[in-house]
Amino acid sequence: MTSAVPVSPARTAGVAGDHVHDKHISTLEELFGDAGDPVNPVGRAEIVAADERGEMLAAGEDLLTGFGLNAHFVPEALGGRFTGLEQLIGVMRAVYRRDPCLGLGYGAGSFMAGVNVWTAGTAAQQLRLADRLLAGDRAACAYHELAHGNDFSRTGLTALPGPDGRRRLNGRKEIVANLRRAGSMVLFARTNPAPGSRSHSQLLLDTDDLDPGSVRHLERFGTVGMRGVQLGGIEFTDCAVPPGSVLGGTAGLGVETALRSFQLTRIALPGMTVGLLDTALRTALRGARSRPLYGGTVTDLPLSRSILAEAFADLLLADTFTTVAARSVHTAPAQAGVYASAVKSFVPPVLMRAVYRLSELLGSQFYLRAAEQPLFQKLLRDVQPSAFGHASRVSCQSALLPQLPLTARRGWLAAEGAALPAETFRPGMPLPGVRFEDLALTGGGRDPLSRSLVAGAADAREDGGIAAQARFWCAELDALAAAASGLGPGAAGPAASPYAFGLTTRWAGVLAASACLNTWWHRPPGADAFADRPAGVLAALHRLGTHLDHHRDPLPGALAEPLYTELVRRFDAGLTFDLDCRPTGA
Amino acid sequence: MSELTARPVPVSVSADEVREWLRDRVAAHTGRPVEEIRPDLPLTEYGLDSVYVLGLCAEIEDHYGIEVEPTVMWDNPALDPLAEALVPLITAH
Repeated sequence: MTSAVPVSPARTAGVAGDHVHDKHISTLEELFGDAGDPVNPVGRAEIVAADERGEMLAAGEDLLTGFGLNAHFVPEALGGRFTGLEQLIGVMRAVYRRDPCLGLGYGAGSFMAGVNVWTAGTAAQQLRLADRLLAGDRAACAYHELAHGNDFSRTGLTALPGPDGRRRLNGRKEIVANLRRAGSMVLFARTNPAPGSRSHSQLLLDTDDLDPGSVRHLERFGTVGMRGVQLGGIEFTDCAVPPGSVLGGTAGLGVETALRSFQLTRIALPGMTVGLLDTALRTALRGARSRPLYGGTVTDLPLSRSILAEAFADLLLADTFTTVAARSVHTAPAQAGVYASAVKSFVPPVLMRAVYRLSELLGSQFYLRAAEQPLFQKLLRDVQPSAFGHASRVSCQSALLPQLPLTARRGWLAAEGAALPAETFRPGMPLPGVRFEDLALTGGGRDPLSRSLVAGAADAREDGGIAAQARFWCAELDALAAAASGLGPGAAGPAASPYAFGLTTRWAGVLAASACLNTWWHRPPGADAFADRPAGVLAALHRLGTHLDHHRDPLPGALAEPLYTELVRRFDAGLTFDLDCRPTGA
Repeated sequence: MSELTARPVPVSVSADEVREWLRDRVAAHTGRPVEEIRPDLPLTEYGLDSVYVLGLCAEIEDHYGIEVEPTVMWDNPALDPLAEALVPLITAH
């Protein structure tokens, strides 16, 4: 499988740290081997069979343990391999390409728990969780209660002091990955009966320390997609917790810690899920090329090629936006919350629509349980929770809304604040480390990614399509600024109007456009032929316009044909379809 | 939007003035008559909690020309203590 095609020079040239990162992904790809090999214990056939049984693929979990996947969730300073969000996404995307259940069910849950501790835990708590994860243990991230959904400030589970002064857990958590088998859990609980945002805390618990008599595990929850992931529930009755369990040692910081630390996961999860679309696209193309129709194959039809090219452009759009957001966590951590909410609200629907459209490609074949179809059907199910899992679209938009008027006045109209440093837009290039302590509750009205759009458009020396796009998106930013600064008080909040929510979508659109254009403007010299031509970025921007309902036009032939050609080239060479363009056996 | 863009930047300001201005804004945010906004009750009583209260924080910043940690809104859940907490920030500015 791993052909001799080199990875894109953009990712590797002269970057010592990234050679290590590349090596991890290559190692993982080698361990997974050729997905199409019928005797591969972690190949397609076994992955589909495990899904049919509603189980995690045991051989896949063993493989990831052997690889040391958990180390990628643990900061380097604590003995792990986590050096940055982009690197983590790269590794996890390789897992998602093989099996999204393995990605979510083996790994992502532990990372979600981990970021809480890396952001707000005491040194001792950080070491404790790091040791547990590095030993191969899992951590559950226990926030969710069915009664409150993503509105975790209304959490019902309590951890209030009992008569002896020790906190006691009462209540339940539901639909949390790996609750039953995790050795550690980060539990979000009410630690003060008063209303408000200083009444909750995370508790870091070793499950062995809890009295089994006061803990009851609920039946596993069945789901449409991600069938293998062990989504459990837990009920506590007067369960005493050891002293020192409150994260950071001070009760009441729970909402703040959640809003700060989950900025990382709100970017990382959509970034990982790009791997799902990669495999969906590969699977659809494989099926379409082998399906005889009207005297040729499905891929001889212009409509089919257009659908495939559009899914490829959607993938590039999603990857570019998440990659820039991931890198901006390093270069503009105070604004990471804004970009995380924008990515988590905008990218998952793009991925879902792309997988759905690919399902139409094969027409009636899709209905069969044969050939490529069972895997594709699984991916179509597995992509669904990306829209609401962890943080729903509406909850992310609700986090953006209160920041919109100030950002319009301060960041857009008054043009306060700097643009992002150029290295933000150079995937694979070195970055300063993530400073968890700099993650902030709000962006303070500054929006450096939008500043980069305006600055880049002013500096650009090119004509034609790119310049037209730059002008268009700058005008859209101006229009958005005017609309947002006219928002009345009361426009923010759960009862905000659909119009106000729509403005957050437009904001995400401007940010995505800036990410695409700036990645183009900052492309490295000597990029490969495809990366050095504007078809990819123009196609991504065209699709962005489609997703924002600016138009309903299919991708013009002048963009669709070069994208289709590149898609087939990568397919034949066994390369991924994302910016990384690396060898894969998926 | 006049009251949002004008920045009076007072030399000194009393907690009473700040509180009355805050009451006005909370009334505007929640669509209630200002008389209904009690400065001793947590803002959550009026539906202004968690991230939604951050919009009010932005207005404080613009009106007084100061920067405040958004958590000041959570640490001072009612308008009385919030006004007390804001006065030194405004005066320092």
